[in-house]
Amino acid sequence: MRIERRLRQPRWLMLVVPAASFLFALVLAGIVLLATGHDPLSTYRQLFDAAFLQAGALGQTLTQATPLAFTGLAAAIAFRMRLFNVGGEGQLYIGTITAAAAGLLLGGSGGPSALVIGAMVIAGCAGGAAWALIPGLLRAFFKTNEIITSLMLNYVAGTLLTYLVFYSESYWRLTTGTNARVFPTSKPLPGSAIWPGLTIHAQGGILLPLGAGIAVLVALILWLLNSRTRFGFEVLVLGDSVRAGRYAGMRVRRKILAVMALSGAVAGLGGASQVGDFAHAIDGDPNGLQKQYYGYTGIVVAALARYNPLAVVVVAFLIGGLQQAGNTLEGADFPSGLVGVLQGIILFSALGGELLVRYRIRFGRRRAVPARGAVA
Amino acid sequence: MNNSLLVVVVASGIAYGTPLLYAALGELLAERSGVLNLGVEGMMLVGAVMGFWTVQRLHADAGISLAASIAVAALAGGLMAAIHAFLVITLRASQIVSGLALTIFAGAAGLSSYLGNDLNLADNPARHDFHALFPSSMQNWPLVGPIVFGQNLLVYLSWACVIAVSLYLTRTRPGLNVRAVGESPAAADAMGIDVVKYRYAHTLAGGAFAGVGGATFTLALTPQWVSGITGGAGWIAIALVIFAFWRPELCLVGAYFFGALQALTPELQARDISLGPTELWTNSLPYVMTVVVLVAASASGARRRLGAPASLGSPYVREER
Amino acid sequence: MPEQIDAVVAMAAPTGAAVAMRGITKRFPGVVANDGIDFEAAPGEVHALLGENGAGKSTLSNILTGLYRPDEGEISLYGEAVRFDSPRDALDAGICMVHQHFRLVEPFSVAENVVLGDHRGEGRSFRLRRGAIEQRVDELSARYGLAVDARARIWQLSVGEQQRVEILKALYRDARILILDEPTAVLTPQEAEVLFGTLREMAAEGRTVIFISHKLHEVMSVADRVTVLRGGRSLGTVLAKESTTHTLAALMVGRELDDASSSGDGAARREPGEMVLELEHVWAAGDRADSAVKGISLSVRAGEIVAVAGVAGNGQRELAETISGVRARSEGAVRLCGRPLRGGDPREAIAAGIAYVPEDRLGTGVAPSLSIASNLVLKSYRARPASRGPLLSLGAIRARALELIARYSIAAPGPAAPARLLSGGNLQKVVLAREFSGLPRLLVAASPTRGLDVGAIETVHAYLRNAAAQGVGVLLISEDLDEILLLADRIVVMYEGAILGEFPSGEADVAELGLLMAGGERGHDAD
Repeated sequence: MRIERRLRQPRWLMLVVPAASFLFALVLAGIVLLATGHDPLSTYRQLFDAAFLQAGALGQTLTQATPLAFTGLAAAIAFRMRLFNVGGEGQLYIGTITAAAAGLLLGGSGGPSALVIGAMVIAGCAGGAAWALIPGLLRAFFKTNEIITSLMLNYVAGTLLTYLVFYSESYWRLTTGTNARVFPTSKPLPGSAIWPGLTIHAQGGILLPLGAGIAVLVALILWLLNSRTRFGFEVLVLGDSVRAGRYAGMRVRRKILAVMALSGAVAGLGGASQVGDFAHAIDGDPNGLQKQYYGYTGIVVAALARYNPLAVVVVAFLIGGLQQAGNTLEGADFPSGLVGVLQGIILFSALGGELLVRYRIRFGRRRAVPARGAVA
Repeated sequence: MNNSLLVVVVASGIAYGTPLLYAALGELLAERSGVLNLGVEGMMLVGAVMGFWTVQRLHADAGISLAASIAVAALAGGLMAAIHAFLVITLRASQIVSGLALTIFAGAAGLSSYLGNDLNLADNPARHDFHALFPSSMQNWPLVGPIVFGQNLLVYLSWACVIAVSLYLTRTRPGLNVRAVGESPAAADAMGIDVVKYRYAHTLAGGAFAGVGGATFTLALTPQWVSGITGGAGWIAIALVIFAFWRPELCLVGAYFFGALQALTPELQARDISLGPTELWTNSLPYVMTVVVLVAASASGARRRLGAPASLGSPYVREER
Repeated sequence: MPEQIDAVVAMAAPTGAAVAMRGITKRFPGVVANDGIDFEAAPGEVHALLGENGAGKSTLSNILTGLYRPDEGEISLYGEAVRFDSPRDALDAGICMVHQHFRLVEPFSVAENVVLGDHRGEGRSFRLRRGAIEQRVDELSARYGLAVDARARIWQLSVGEQQRVEILKALYRDARILILDEPTAVLTPQEAEVLFGTLREMAAEGRTVIFISHKLHEVMSVADRVTVLRGGRSLGTVLAKESTTHTLAALMVGRELDDASSSGDGAARREPGEMVLELEHVWAAGDRADSAVKGISLSVRAGEIVAVAGVAGNGQRELAETISGVRARSEGAVRLCGRPLRGGDPREAIAAGIAYVPEDRLGTGVAPSLSIASNLVLKSYRARPASRGPLLSLGAIRARALELIARYSIAAPGPAAPARLLSGGNLQKVVLAREFSGLPRLLVAASPTRGLDVGAIETVHAYLRNAAAQGVGVLLISEDLDEILLLADRIVVMYEGAILGEFPSGEADVAELGLLMAGGERGHDAD
């Protein structure tokens, strides 16, 4: 048996393989469920209901899907150029910090203010971009492996986040009120810094957060960037062959910095959405935001979506639904941890399926190919 | 004197650092063969839960029960690693994505919690656990008492493992071979070494060590099972390997250093000592130092003397034209 | 390809060949690398395998060392038939090879590298007895004059010393048959002499040394017998002492000595125009810390085709990279149409009007996974019509691609197909189409017809002539003398980074060219 690289990647294969992988994953997970005494079909039905059909489910799903969309897009940007930015997690945390600062500084009472929200968006992007530029600069100038540096910075960012609320009297910490002295709390954002949502009257009222809309917009912009701009073209070339890019006169270092900054900015924007749409304050609890793993899951989302921005949004929605269902259903009846198991199996199957898209499995000895011409 | 800050922190540092050490040794072996496994956290958690399960369900006395638990923990970790190994070595999938998938699959929101809750392992302390091995009279000796003699068997075992791994890598042929596979799989292949076999073996070994590291939490440190009990130790272990320049002896130093930092904060609080933003730097110091170390290594071109196995992260395909 | 010459074949047949290869044939897609080759080498001799690049020497040796399996033919060692399924089998049979690109693990010590993977006897032990190994390595290196410190790390050693480690590996395994692939490419003349001494000594012990080379004077100085390969076939084996560099050169390049005239319409040519490219004493560093381009001065005029002849590995690639800006130069001046170029910046070169067709088609010339249309605008995407401002004009790009595909008759499924699907010839057409469409002043073409079939070769030649006819200065770098004689107005020969000779094409003597390409002295009967 031999594994040979495929020359051509037919269209149908690109669609069939992911679908087949997904089905395979469901079957595999079903076996795990059966082996541990649960009924696969009813479990899947429960998941689907909890994710999409129940009252309020869609709205909750969006709560999970929105940050995943941002971190997924962030990962997709970088991974497309084979820059492995694993730091989306930390870049999101820093985004929450900077966006919250903007909100606290500029915001006041009253309804949502476009100015304040705009400032939060910019602050979130700036924070994330700056955090991502650290591994970016190290990679561009010292050729330091960005996987490890960005990973390490995730921890530093997490520590900083916890520190700001739990271990210091920082600007972000609430110092007034009796409760605040006893238990560390973060300062809530004022009214004009709270992001509005769109209420859709269906299923008992679904709240479409502003962040979700922004994520879709960002996905569209990124898609256009990838397919229709010189920048996107250069990223594509450099992701395929750095030698060809250099030969064509592309400036590799600049590209590395630009792509890392963009990736970090989008992750930071996800952080801004976290404070603006959902938490309305920074979350310094080490068992809170830092255990949600939006950043790492975003990488998984990006991989499943093959780094295509539009697909990222769709996959983020589906995975968000899965996460959400897991959260809701947790209890005596429902196997906790199933969400992770299911996600893991889906991802493993997708990775295995990738092989079939890129390579072909051949059996038997290779037959000699008749020559067309002699060696010059 | 045995209650002084220094002694307590060092002794606790060793205790907290032991799971890190096991996991780091395992990851070191895998990375030396060229395979990056980001799924350490997941493997540790599965080892933790399965080891705990064994000790709860196996009706035997302490010695046998604990021995079996460690064995099961190692096996469980190895099985998790096998998934990653198959995907990245045989199927040549991306090592980063596969490792992350393993963390998600096996981690606190995944298989380990699934098993722990299904098997009703929460809320009960371990039936047997690894307590201090030496009599309390020895533990009271100044300085070395708590630090050296106050530890449990797993700690002492980890010391043996450090020596074993170190000797393995530097003084045996298989050790030489695996280092060659990690540095230059093409050269190793040309010299007749089976790259695939070595990568599989060391990735699985990495999982086994991680499993034992996880079991250290549930069988020695706490000793109870809670979902997500390792609290990020797996990620620290990954940093630790780099920080230690892929050398087992330095893993020990680093693990205890990181462990001591962890122990420092509560001790300082208990003594009402405040050193400014202590939490900030004690918690982030390990990571910052790792980055600094890595940059220094890659910038100075001392890379080949100090640095990562050259083939880390890439699949090996023999070029058959 | 010219007709094959029945070469001088007679030689003293030694008794009991150590290596005997009969009827070896190996095919790759599009190419027959070895075509029914018979080869044998005796114990106790140094046997040279001579031929130009692409003649099939590397393939033959890779078969002998177990990396490839022959499609036809058989191998026997000391009279017994053998079959190698992997490099390990060949190693076990006592065949060791010293490759051009060393198979050494850089952070390891010499001793560790020597002993790696050895699984005979001592090698089966679990423990690594460093002291004993280092001692044995020291003994071997003293005995064979291969001075190297067993404890030193590979990255600390010079290239020559690293090569000695490769040889020590073979000696440690008591190799009966040692193959060296272009060993002197990385050595100074003095180091080469030391190497030859070692090889002679190994042969004197009864081992077989097979020495692959394209350098005539070396072959003459160290070999007992010489087998010449050309075009995948063996032209036979001669005794070194009964040959001269001239006869060998003629065999290598495939012409009778009497056939002095250069075929080709080189003589009647348009008048070259103004100066397009000027190089003055240009030096550039190679990939290892040595100089690959050593003080080259040359010029190309508009409408002229200047060919740089030489066997690959003598600095031509680095020269092309220096001119096209991919590589920085360390000394000297480069001027394009009178304007000095800073160098080291491909964009500067592109903007100045330098087109470059690189040797490495698929990895550098083209981004393999990208569409043909994308590759066609790889250098022109920054300006109109391919883009307007930051946005690409996809329609214009596609239209241009369709136009170029039609004009250059590129056989492709369509402009959106990924480039890696194309055959070698069509890939080259894509590269040429792209380079020409930029209306260049200078075209640097490095080995443009390597690996192409006859039809594609003719097409490429036509483009080159066409470019010259339109006033472009063409610098053609090639190892194929036929091609050079066919196309060039002027020929320079490059060897080991320097230019050994320059001729207008009318005056070029094939035998002399061959001699210079192999390092011989101009006008001398070097022996």
